[in-house]
Amino acid sequence: MRMGYGQRCSAIRLREAGDLVGERVTRHDGKIDLVLHPDEIELLRELATQTATVLIASDEAVGANPVRDRLFPRAYDDPTEDTAESEWQSIVHPDLVKGKATALGELLDDLDRVKSGSGGITTVDLSEEQMSTWVSALNDLRISLAVTIDLTEAQQEVPPSHVHAQGFAAYYFLTYLQGELLETLTGPFDF
Amino acid sequence: MSSTETVQELLPAEIDETKVGPDTPWLVIVWDDPVNLMIYVVMVLQKLFGHSREKATKLMLQIHNEGKAVVSHGNREKAEADVARLHANGLWATLQRDSAT
Repeated sequence: MRMGYGQRCSAIRLREAGDLVGERVTRHDGKIDLVLHPDEIELLRELATQTATVLIASDEAVGANPVRDRLFPRAYDDPTEDTAESEWQSIVHPDLVKGKATALGELLDDLDRVKSGSGGITTVDLSEEQMSTWVSALNDLRISLAVTIDLTEAQQEVPPSHVHAQGFAAYYFLTYLQGELLETLTGPFDF
Repeated sequence: MSSTETVQELLPAEIDETKVGPDTPWLVIVWDDPVNLMIYVVMVLQKLFGHSREKATKLMLQIHNEGKAVVSHGNREKAEADVARLHANGLWATLQRDSAT
């Protein structure tokens, strides 16, 4: 488990948006305005679309796609429970897919509502419910990306020359964004 | 989330009763993973099980420090439903028989 974005902040390369840190979220009338750089919006669209593609093909056999297998893990560790596992999967899998696809779809819809401001900065307003949906969708994007870039407890950072350097930067942007929304929803945290 | 509600509503009616063992307790385990944020895990445990923030935090820290924690228990159908709700929220959860009994 990860502490949160603060722990990894030095590793985050937010590129042009670096000076936005700390001014991401403005509260107003029970909603928030979330500041996003156009490059970040593109990134979110791209990752959400990729993960949605995995969801659509998620009926494929276990073992065929490691992202699919992490998004939809086994319920039973015990291999002698394979029959129960298959029955359980057949009952819950369609709903799990639907729930995740709906959250991703809502995130993509919200990204279509962004308003342009000065200096190329764009904002999107989100209700508490929409923030919760974003937190869920961002979690699935982080899970998917972590598999793709082979993020493990042992490998949480890579040098800029690494083949997955961009993927890691994207991952830490998602982590940062999810942390901001979580803190806005639940209040400050300190474990 | 709507997905969680749907899974909750669906499971009790459709689970095969013959799978439920006689009074055998089942444990639902959440495993540590390198992705889920601590505060996110606390929020999910509060939302799904109605825990206080303190209790959810204690469970989260057990998962983090010991690699796993039992988050619920009951008959097989309850455990299966809880695992589905946890998977809907991206937590890595499994169920197993309570071998201690």
